[in-house]
Amino acid sequence: MECELIDVHVPFETLRHKMNPLYIRLKTAAKNTLGTLMMVMPMLLSVIALAGLFETLVTPEMIQSVFKGSPVEDTLIGTGIGAISVGQPFLSYVIGGELLDEGVSLYAVTAFILSFVTLGVIQVPLEWSLFGTRFTLLRNSLSFIFAFLISIATVTIVGLLS
Amino acid sequence: MLSVVGCMYLLTFYFNPQAGQDALLAAFKILKMIIPILLVVFFLMALLHTFIDSKSISRHIGEQSGVRGWVIALVGGILSHGPAYVWYPMISDLRKHGARDGLLVAFFYTRSIKLPWLPLMVSYFGLAFTVVLTGLVILSAWIQGMIVDKLTRVFEE
Repeated sequence: MECELIDVHVPFETLRHKMNPLYIRLKTAAKNTLGTLMMVMPMLLSVIALAGLFETLVTPEMIQSVFKGSPVEDTLIGTGIGAISVGQPFLSYVIGGELLDEGVSLYAVTAFILSFVTLGVIQVPLEWSLFGTRFTLLRNSLSFIFAFLISIATVTIVGLLS
Repeated sequence: MLSVVGCMYLLTFYFNPQAGQDALLAAFKILKMIIPILLVVFFLMALLHTFIDSKSISRHIGEQSGVRGWVIALVGGILSHGPAYVWYPMISDLRKHGARDGLLVAFFYTRSIKLPWLPLMVSYFGLAFTVVLTGLVILSAWIQGMIVDKLTRVFEE
């Protein structure tokens, strides 16, 4: 009867590799993923630090003060202000509600809510470094244009429905 | 960029120490909030690297993905949580493996639909507003994706 001899001096890691090829793939994948995350980490931390700075320095009162009363102009301003604002999405609803109470048009408030989440000036450098100029330019330009168009369409449709 | 942001903090601390402290606290709060999402992203990226090859990425969200690709992008955007920049490393990874730009743009746009916050939106702006806005966001995410796909083809020719 033949029996296979196991070399007890083979390190445990090597034995595990031989036994489970999935282990090697997982380990390599985790290493690659960690490498990618470590590469983007400085940029990610910068974005977070910048978000903290904006959240503190740009107050809801400052946002309210820039609206002028003209629906078209205010919609553009709303899109722009939403793009530079940062924070939890619910904050845009709260600020939007306050803006409506102050007499700002629903067009502007809708544009503000949309661009608050879809546009982000502070994250552009990270997006640019990972996706390139063309993608970043295209995505942000379309988001800006569509925030304007959707706000007009939403208010018009809601007006017709009510 | 980190050094530029560092300088901005130094300036804030110099001119208004209280604001600098508040900003630092706010940044730590954001960091604390995104760490679980970052772990999820890390886990998903490791899974993608291990089990999904470029061929299957291309089949599901690549050039030939069809309706399935749109559904994955639109639903994925609605279901993903946290700030967009947390998802950038994973999405750029998918792009390197053959994911289509149009679908990625659609994914990023439907991220503006925040399911957990919809009840709050209804309470502020009403049900009709919320339903119409949500529908238009999904529709426009698809239109934007189509535009990007068309333009990408034009640029590459």
